[in-house]
Amino acid sequence: MAISAASEERVAAIRNGMWYGLLLALTVWFALIPAFGGNLPFFFYLMLWVTMASAFNIISGFTGYMPFGYVAFYGIGAFTTAILTKKLGVPVYFSLPIAGLAGVALSLLFAKTLKLNGIYFAITSLALAIIVRLVITNMPEEITGGSFGISLGSRAEPVKSFYVMLGTMLAALLTVTWLARSRLGMALKAIRDDSEAAEAMGINVPRARLKAWMMSAFFPSMCGGIEAWYTNVVDTGTAFDVLITAKTIIYAMAGGLGTVTGPVLGAVIMVWLDDLFWQRFPLLNLFLLGTAIVLLIQFMPRGIVGSLMQRWPKLRRYIM
Amino acid sequence: MLKVEGLSKRFGGLVAVDDLSFEVPRKTVLGLIGINGSGKSTVMNCISGLYRSDSGRVTLGGKDITRKTSHDIARHGLGRTFQVPRLFHRMTLVENLLTTVLDSRRKNAELVEQAEAILDSVELHGLRHDHGEELSGGQQKLLELARVMMFDPDMILLDEPFAGVNPSLCRLLIERIQALLGEGKTFLLISHDLTSIYRLSDHIVVLNQGRKIAEGGVEDIKNDPQVIEAYLGTEAYDG
Ligand SMILES: Nc1ncnc2c1ncn2[C@@H]1O[C@H](COP(=O)(O)OP(=O)(O)O)[C@@H](O)[C@H]1O
Ligand SMILES: [Mg+2]
Repeated sequence: MAISAASEERVAAIRNGMWYGLLLALTVWFALIPAFGGNLPFFFYLMLWVTMASAFNIISGFTGYMPFGYVAFYGIGAFTTAILTKKLGVPVYFSLPIAGLAGVALSLLFAKTLKLNGIYFAITSLALAIIVRLVITNMPEEITGGSFGISLGSRAEPVKSFYVMLGTMLAALLTVTWLARSRLGMALKAIRDDSEAAEAMGINVPRARLKAWMMSAFFPSMCGGIEAWYTNVVDTGTAFDVLITAKTIIYAMAGGLGTVTGPVLGAVIMVWLDDLFWQRFPLLNLFLLGTAIVLLIQFMPRGIVGSLMQRWPKLRRYIM
Repeated sequence: MLKVEGLSKRFGGLVAVDDLSFEVPRKTVLGLIGINGSGKSTVMNCISGLYRSDSGRVTLGGKDITRKTSHDIARHGLGRTFQVPRLFHRMTLVENLLTTVLDSRRKNAELVEQAEAILDSVELHGLRHDHGEELSGGQQKLLELARVMMFDPDMILLDEPFAGVNPSLCRLLIERIQALLGEGKTFLLISHDLTSIYRLSDHIVVLNQGRKIAEGGVEDIKNDPQVIEAYLGTEAYDG
């Protein structure tokens, strides 16, 4: 047993070393992009999608829910930030965390839906997202800017918002990293695999899944707010676009739900492919992207990382 | 230890359990037998809180647990296995065991060491990093028992622990159950296979169509004409 414990520590050291090394390298790279005149929009949205897919992973990959209305959190975050910043004059650095909390508040409002299973939860979530969008669309124009939307400031601040996006992405990744090794994370995975058996093992299922739900609501709301700040404008059409949910789900699944690295890798590859197809084959880009997704699901149903781990189980211990 | 009084459970028009009462004294094994569909699993599911009973009262160590949620009942010291194993498929065997001790104040390293020792005792140590879904049917039964051992409740409910398990694993299971009895655990054991039940039980309750048709020591039950008829009846039917 002593020998096994020692090798266990070595495995953990290798796993952590690789993962934190990668995080550090990415951080340095991204942090240098504005200074070296890199492609700011590309990397901004890359970080945004990494964050979205990773936060989605908490409620989906870890806990087993499929919120088709995930965009509601993003939209609420975008509007909270815009209204606070523009209409109430709150500095954007304060508006953003408040926007994150607005997402958490919304998740609490929807907490009852966690009792639903599978497709019932998914559809209800979609319906609620549509309702949230309708409520915002029908609010007085003085508050939400009506069909023109709200512009936040006199001009956009792409570099500042880029760094805040970087910080938020790191926060999301560290949260998921912690979760993957924590006791709460283990409770969530048990709930995902069999919630009734988890209950029978003494796990307080409603409490654990509510925590996951709140965590995975915070980050998309932050993303919505930061993107509003980055583009300097918010309107219901883009802030509640169903494509945001679709992309989040596809990117996370492509990489592999339930692992820390999966959604990161999925978002990086898909955003890169999307960009590549868009530049090289502007007419065929959606077709090619669709084909890539179909191939992925056909040949790697558990996503890239998930399928590699299934093929070579030993990898599981070395990959986060 | 465990007391069931007047328990009933209906599914639509079907009465699966009908006004059933029995008691399991501390540190004993109660065997619950009956042909397939006689309501055994339903009784267990009502006790553990998976199903809500229609009437009746269940007490555990003197505390009323009738209307409690499944995890509350587990916290009161009741652990169980399932007829069809319900493992955490995409978690390692070690993690499967750790899910039962998430509230423990003990250190993670210590808990992992204990989990590995328990896996060793059911001969699953070599597979400890595998996922639940990679086990054979018999191994899944063993893992369910290991998970209950890690949970360490005073009252253990086992639903068909020997079904689909090969003879050598069966022997190992029986050994483990006897060891747990030695530690002072109390068991409610369900099986439609009589040999293992007769071997382990102190007392037996026989169910037929949700109703208790006989109760007594192993020898009484072996010679009970109603039990013989119920079982021979099915064998004739199966044949
Ligand atoms: N969840 C359920 N829904 C509807 N009927 C059920 C359910 N569970 C069990 N039953 C029915 O209740 C009766 C008793 O089943 P069960 O308790 O599984 O019997 P046993 O474990 O003795 O084989 C059977 O007729 C079965 O079909
Ligand atoms: Mg049964």
